Amino acid sequence: MNGVRLQPTSTAVHRGWRRTLGELPSALLFLLPTVAVLGTFNFYPALYSLYLSLFEWNGLSPHREFVGLANYTRLLASGEFWNSLRVTLLYAGGVTLLALALGLLVAVLLNQPIRGQALYRVLYFLPVITPTVASGVVWKYLFDPTQGVVNRGLAEVGLEGPSWLSDPSWALVAVIVVGVWKRVGFNMVVYLAALQGIPKTYYEAAQLDGADSWQQFRHITLPLLAPTTFFLVVTALIDAFQVFDLVYVMTSGGPLGSTDVLGYYLYRQGFRYSELGFASAVAYVMFALIFLVTVIQFRLTRGGQDDA
Amino acid sequence: MKASWLKAIVITTVVLLGLSMAQKLTFWHYWDGANGQVLQGLIERYQKEHPGVTIEAVFVPGGELLTKLQTAITAKQTPIMAISDLVAMPLLTQSGSLAPLDDFIRQSNLNLADYFPGPLVYGMYQGKRYSLPVSASDLGLFWNKNLFRQAGLDPNRPPRNWDELLRYAKQIKEKTGKWGIELFTQGGEGTTWQTQVYFWGAGAEFLNANNTAPAFNSPQGVRALQFLVDLAQKDKVAPIAPWGLFGRGEAAMVMDGSWMTQFFPQQVNFELGSAPFPYPAGGRPATNMGGEQIFIFQNADAATAKAAWDFINWFSSTPVQVEWDRGTGFLPVRRSVANDPAYRAWVSNARPLMRPFVDSMAFARPRPPVARYPQISDIFAKYVQEALLGRLSPKDALERAAQEVAPLLR
Repeated sequence: MNGVRLQPTSTAVHRGWRRTLGELPSALLFLLPTVAVLGTFNFYPALYSLYLSLFEWNGLSPHREFVGLANYTRLLASGEFWNSLRVTLLYAGGVTLLALALGLLVAVLLNQPIRGQALYRVLYFLPVITPTVASGVVWKYLFDPTQGVVNRGLAEVGLEGPSWLSDPSWALVAVIVVGVWKRVGFNMVVYLAALQGIPKTYYEAAQLDGADSWQQFRHITLPLLAPTTFFLVVTALIDAFQVFDLVYVMTSGGPLGSTDVLGYYLYRQGFRYSELGFASAVAYVMFALIFLVTVIQFRLTRGGQDDA
Repeated sequence: MKASWLKAIVITTVVLLGLSMAQKLTFWHYWDGANGQVLQGLIERYQKEHPGVTIEAVFVPGGELLTKLQTAITAKQTPIMAISDLVAMPLLTQSGSLAPLDDFIRQSNLNLADYFPGPLVYGMYQGKRYSLPVSASDLGLFWNKNLFRQAGLDPNRPPRNWDELLRYAKQIKEKTGKWGIELFTQGGEGTTWQTQVYFWGAGAEFLNANNTAPAFNSPQGVRALQFLVDLAQKDKVAPIAPWGLFGRGEAAMVMDGSWMTQFFPQQVNFELGSAPFPYPAGGRPATNMGGEQIFIFQNADAATAKAAWDFINWFSSTPVQVEWDRGTGFLPVRRSVANDPAYRAWVSNARPLMRPFVDSMAFARPRPPVARYPQISDIFAKYVQEALLGRLSPKDALERAAQEVAPLLR
């Protein structure tokens, strides 16, 4: 494992020990603000929510009933939860894969010496920094069945677009489109940086051997981008698993639960139905899922280190 | 030097004493913009008339108020008074953190019989009253007179029952190509509270009399849902589409709220009409209502609670409510306000479209005051959508909704 490399040798530890000890008070002092802030606003609420997940409580009642793991068993028995999980996996998978492919495509294209390269980069990156809520509202207009640009465009080419956000079979597609649109720019920028880090000599050598541009892409670019791809997949999946604002603005989880991602499901339980214990259980199941996905990916790709 | 220190200490003590003698009442609310200004104006007048009482009105955005109250109650840092959307009242009364108002009401001879029955349903818990209605809104019919004319209908005659509603809608679709009526099909409480008006109008109930079981899956309920499904699926006079077609002149009729009597005239470029929402032959007039309730928190001491009540009592009085409703466009919660000559004159002159909404308050019905209402509403809306999309028959949809709702009421 590559982790071994990071471990200092035992002599280094020995030599540094005394100095480290002497610096301990000031180190702690410097860490204190961060630890205090993280402790108050991250760790304490996270642990408290784990504790709450064992209770039935509506957030207002003076009475909290300890129910043990009942919230978790109820969750696993709930059809709505499994629907949410399915929707979340579809969303996360769709956004991650499409944004990855498109991000790579755009990065490769923008890596060519073309005019207005900087402008294109800005344009592709703009959606990333546009607030999600604003994007959601605008896309909602674009997806309007009669007035929206999307269906008007489709009508131009003789297609009748669906009633996007009102149609249970199309609403998730529409939300995924916006998710991809917001993600591509980020993937593009990271890929672009990685592309520029690949030494030109590799390509020159391959050209001497007679490799065409597809072969160069397949056997040089892709493998050397593997660590970047791994990083992008992990971050995109974690990001997509937690999607909430986009769904909140565009569909409120509807129609008929077709866009009811876990983040929105949690919000409904906690803040619309005032089921704080149950919502905490949802949050911990989400945490476990994201953790699991990350571990699996790490195992599969060995951290993206030596994928050939 | 010493003398000036002494002076400073004495002055500070006097000021602090004075402040502690004066009643400071914190009051959380979510009335923004013009409504917030009207409130502030009333508060300033009350303070002038009642020296020694300071009311500190704190604006909290509507979407955050309940969460903020939850936090305040858990942390035992509540304000003295607050308002809430009536839907959240069951949760608040059951929290045990509100002060019962019955003794105050009796001592002040506040005539509850003067209130419309709908809003009074909220705020009751275990036989005690914990809140009073201070504002209301309800639903009614708006129609587009231009489209009525184009379709060859009398632009000044709204449909009076469901048969006419359907006939008009078909004629509009046929003659103008526009939608006859717009339904809220996007789910959630928006779908539920509109659908309830059709259900109540057809004689169905939403829950049973003591709110312990669903009642919407009755034959009358099935009939009402069938009517809506037919509008969308069979006669195709109502689309399943995002909300807002009526405002753009793409649908000739819509059920919308009393607040739109203020906003529609600024938004639309056609002539508007408004009426109580029609109900079927053999049914009954009915509409849904919203609004705010005011309450006092329990941890206020007796003197403070009394001071808060005095303000609430004053705020609830007919003359102040007339002023409040004129300033904000909220509907009256008291009959004496709805019948007040000055108020009626204001409606006729300034807000003629609001007249039917004021009249509808007499038969406006409350959504069941149960703590789990938001969840029940979402389930109901989901199955209404299933039926509107033609995936389940109205009967099956309502049966399945009832099965899911029942455990939440036990």
